[in-house]
Amino acid sequence: MTEAAFPRVLEFVRKVVPFDTLPAEELEAAVERMEIAYFPRGQVVIEAGGEPAQFLYVIQTGSAKISLPQKEGQELLVDQRGEGEYFGAVSLLQGSRALFRVTAREDLICYLLPGDAFRDLVARYPSLERHFGFGLARNLQAMRTAGQAPAGGLLDGASLDASLVQGRVAEVMTREVLTCLPATPVKAAAHLMMVRRVGSVVVVEESGHPIGILTDSDLRSRVLAYGRSADRPVLEFMSQPVHTLSPESHIFEALLAMSTHGVNHLVVTEQDRVVGLISDHDLRGLTGSSPVTVVRDIEKVASLDDLVLVHKKVDRVLEMLLRQGGSAPTMLALVTEFNDRLTIKLLELVESQMEHGGLGRPPVPYVWMALGSEGRREQTLRTDQDNALIFANLPPERLEAVKTWFLGFAERVVAGLEACGFPRCPGEVMASNPRWCQGERQWQETFLRWIQDPEPLSLRLATIFFDFRGIYAEADFIENLQLKLKEGLEGNRLFLRYMAKNALYNRPPLGFLRQFVVEKSGEHKNKLNLKLSGLTPMVDALRVMSLDLGLTLTNTLERLEAVAQAGLIKPALAADLREAFSFMTILRIGRHLEARARGELPDNFLDPAALSGLQRKMLKESFGVISQLQDLMEYRYQARMVQH
Amino acid sequence: MGLTKARLKNRLLRARLGGRNLPPLAAANLLALEGLDPEAPASSLSYVVLDLETTGLDPASDRVVSVGAVRLKQGRVRLGERFAELVNPSRAIPPEAIKVHGITPDMLTHARHAGDVFQDFLAYLGRDILVAHYAPFDLHFINLTMKSLYGFPLQNLVLDTVLMCQQALLPSDPYGIAGHAKRCGLDTLAKRFGLPREERHTALGDALLTAMVLQRLLAELEHKGVVKLRQVLSLAGRW
Repeated sequence: MTEAAFPRVLEFVRKVVPFDTLPAEELEAAVERMEIAYFPRGQVVIEAGGEPAQFLYVIQTGSAKISLPQKEGQELLVDQRGEGEYFGAVSLLQGSRALFRVTAREDLICYLLPGDAFRDLVARYPSLERHFGFGLARNLQAMRTAGQAPAGGLLDGASLDASLVQGRVAEVMTREVLTCLPATPVKAAAHLMMVRRVGSVVVVEESGHPIGILTDSDLRSRVLAYGRSADRPVLEFMSQPVHTLSPESHIFEALLAMSTHGVNHLVVTEQDRVVGLISDHDLRGLTGSSPVTVVRDIEKVASLDDLVLVHKKVDRVLEMLLRQGGSAPTMLALVTEFNDRLTIKLLELVESQMEHGGLGRPPVPYVWMALGSEGRREQTLRTDQDNALIFANLPPERLEAVKTWFLGFAERVVAGLEACGFPRCPGEVMASNPRWCQGERQWQETFLRWIQDPEPLSLRLATIFFDFRGIYAEADFIENLQLKLKEGLEGNRLFLRYMAKNALYNRPPLGFLRQFVVEKSGEHKNKLNLKLSGLTPMVDALRVMSLDLGLTLTNTLERLEAVAQAGLIKPALAADLREAFSFMTILRIGRHLEARARGELPDNFLDPAALSGLQRKMLKESFGVISQLQDLMEYRYQARMVQH
Repeated sequence: MGLTKARLKNRLLRARLGGRNLPPLAAANLLALEGLDPEAPASSLSYVVLDLETTGLDPASDRVVSVGAVRLKQGRVRLGERFAELVNPSRAIPPEAIKVHGITPDMLTHARHAGDVFQDFLAYLGRDILVAHYAPFDLHFINLTMKSLYGFPLQNLVLDTVLMCQQALLPSDPYGIAGHAKRCGLDTLAKRFGLPREERHTALGDALLTAMVLQRLLAELEHKGVVKLRQVLSLAGRW
């Protein structure tokens, strides 16, 4: 027979990576060996710990969920596979028991390639060996070294790895937790701590609900130092509230919580019962590229050169977290945490440089301000700098000297940031620009002028500056500026309508038939701009609504939450938008890391054809809900009607 | 028709034929019902899913031009275990039929005649359960050849996916399958199950689609508690 027996099956398999590299006759022979299987939704196709897989499963229709079974029927989602993707390869090549459970997420039709035929192809075709060998090594290594950081390597799109089990609070927490009731005398609590050789006791109500914690340092600073009676109840001396998290949380979430709340201990709870305690001491035991060590390294740095070196580790940590399945909000929070700490360290270093160079200490209190994505705490890796500086109000005769000092200071900080890999802002939105290094009153005037007299340039600047946040603050300039902005916006609806109109400029690239609209020519032909056409419209729309409500929040997901709370967006749409934002963010971080690993400059362009079926589907859905948000905003602000 | 009745008829036939010296394929077909366990789960058995293309829709005058079949074993369609061959119908093909299946007289110049093709098919079929979409049509042509060659009809169990569909799906699709009241066409079923339809109207393509429909129907029946071969036969067996 000259024609293939099943041309459509062949056609399908031909497009599946990595089979697309096989010659036609090999593919036809492979199809000859294939079987078609159907699994209704919910059916377990491969059981974790069960017999090794007999087939490679290529998904023709539907999607599959890959998970790790946990105790009590819980599962840990590791990955999802969609149309044109496969599963079962690891167990097939290794001949080992299946590592994961694979369940039909929707009704699933799979093409099954028998194990011997698959192994034969992998043995004869280096392209397949590379593809599967690589994935295999990664999966296995991840499993083996659970708890340790995998070595760096290329990322496989946004596909997340097995190592989800890595770095959980449950692995490092102290399980022997000392607890006492609020009425316990401090003396008794201190005795208990001494006998049990622990540094803290968790104060719990009779129900077991934790309400506070008493530590060594509380004893020293609050009881002994003031000579208070040791017969008083712990209730009077404990630190509260306690900050809790679940044993399933990532270790880096624990770190984030500690640094956000400024505490050294977190109580680990399960259904409101204390199951463990985690202290900064527990985190100190970790080594290698853990988020914790990187933060610690930043803290220890004494020179600018060292800071640059430390920051190279950040990429590795992020890559690791992305593979561990970190959620978008956590990833962004972590990037922000790293970058904030780095900036603060840099400010300290430059201050002392200036002082040692004979230029003196900062002449007046100042605030280092983050703007744009940094202001929203949404930086992915190292994006362009967007920063500004506010210094205290001054009599006119001192203004010039002080401004000169701060400009010199800012220039060194900006250069330092550049050395750490944050490119200078092409639009010069940086504290080293005299326009963006001003006294408090000038800042307030600038903001009010933009609101009262909206014109194209000031509207564009407003989208960057109105997402401001203080990274390093020696005074309450930020709070005052927020107040002025809120006052200025009250009763000035026209400005919001202009902003809304501008926010409609970028549209999600979905065509009439819900196909992706890609660049027609040029460098990025057949690609779409994930940031400009996906994230920006959402960020812009939520900024308008959030300013309208007089909110001082800058983070997009927090704004979404508040705007939904206020009833401007229905809960269902808000939930979809949250998903869309997270999905696009993860996709973007993945793309950036991939580009970085290939030694290219990260950009925001994405080739939809290079995505998996499931990813394409999710991206389309994401664009769809962002269009809904834009429609809603357009209607609310009658944005089409305003004229410039 | 149930397995017991099929076995009874088979016994009667064997008694009637007595010790007559039969060609090996015919003798083998007489044993097609051996070893079948009515209590076995239907999904564990081996099926051959068949589709025929013909010169027209009149069983009395029309003849087969193409045979396509795939095997479904333990719930999985085996793409490699297929049967596909053109058949010389020994008569003209009306243009309407050519439009349906695209088989022109030129393509059939080297094709074998029905009897020869059928013997190979019989060997391929073995003792498997034969399945077709509206099975009486296909069974008619098979028995035509079978009887002319061996003097008795095919002894294998036969399942009809149309009957299965009427029993398994229609009661739960009160507005008809995919909106088509009381219709169980292959296209309708493919749509309902979200199956690919591009390979239709070649005998092999339709056989594959029917096999995938069978796969779904068996799962659907199993979900409804119709698990054993005995139960499935009582719903959708054909003779």
